[in-house]
Amino acid sequence: MSTIEGSAIKKVVIACDAGMGSSVMVASQLAKRLKPYKVSVSHTPVNDIPADADVVLCQSTLLARAKKGSGDKVILGFQSFLGDPVFDKVEAAIRDGGSLAD
Amino acid sequence: MGRLPTERTALLTPEGVRLGRTASGRADAIDQCGQALLDVGAVSAEYLPAMHEREESVSTFIGEGVAIPHGTDASRQYVKQTSLVVLQFPDGVDWGSGNVAKLCVGIAAHGSEQVGILSSLAMILMDPAKAAELREAPDAETVIRLLQSIDEEN
Repeated sequence: MSTIEGSAIKKVVIACDAGMGSSVMVASQLAKRLKPYKVSVSHTPVNDIPADADVVLCQSTLLARAKKGSGDKVILGFQSFLGDPVFDKVEAAIRDGGSLAD
Repeated sequence: MGRLPTERTALLTPEGVRLGRTASGRADAIDQCGQALLDVGAVSAEYLPAMHEREESVSTFIGEGVAIPHGTDASRQYVKQTSLVVLQFPDGVDWGSGNVAKLCVGIAAHGSEQVGILSSLAMILMDPAKAAELREAPDAETVIRLLQSIDEEN
């Protein structure tokens, strides 16, 4: 289990299998929501998660693969591409402070 | 996160919008998306098996009756030009896990040029009325107008 303080989150990465479709959609939505807090959001293939990511979000079915390549980062899974509660959780931690754990 | 498309229209053309289709199942629908991507010059034939491979590893069904079939990371080498195609299946296609797809957005991408359209797609699908308008679009112009209607800010 990993933990990060909301105030320390500067870079959120959305990972999916190819980094071509679903992660792009999720990243574009989350980028709009996190823009006011100056947090960057990018998308990437799950096998290519950048070392400087603070928080990684991926489809729940890809969690094991995401964990393999990303050390002790906070990695959270989502079920829905459109408005999953985990997106609210990340935004709340960044907006209100508090810790985010996986 | 990637550069903005300078000519977004080139990503989705009327030739790539195919309405009122029928498919015998998910594999057939994916084949039709692959064929459409081939027809618009987006990919070479090797891309098609990768679309099935991707679907088997994780479903591309995203909700609101929409799936976004695309290849794997490794199959990017078969993408000649980043493009999207839109296929409408009014009778629905069984996409597994109880999901029924009435619209497929087939994707072939090199980089991030498709971000704008996919962002629009996500915005549309979060509004049930707009989602229905897209699923039931009567012509290619409507599909293209809807998917290009929302400004990309990323």
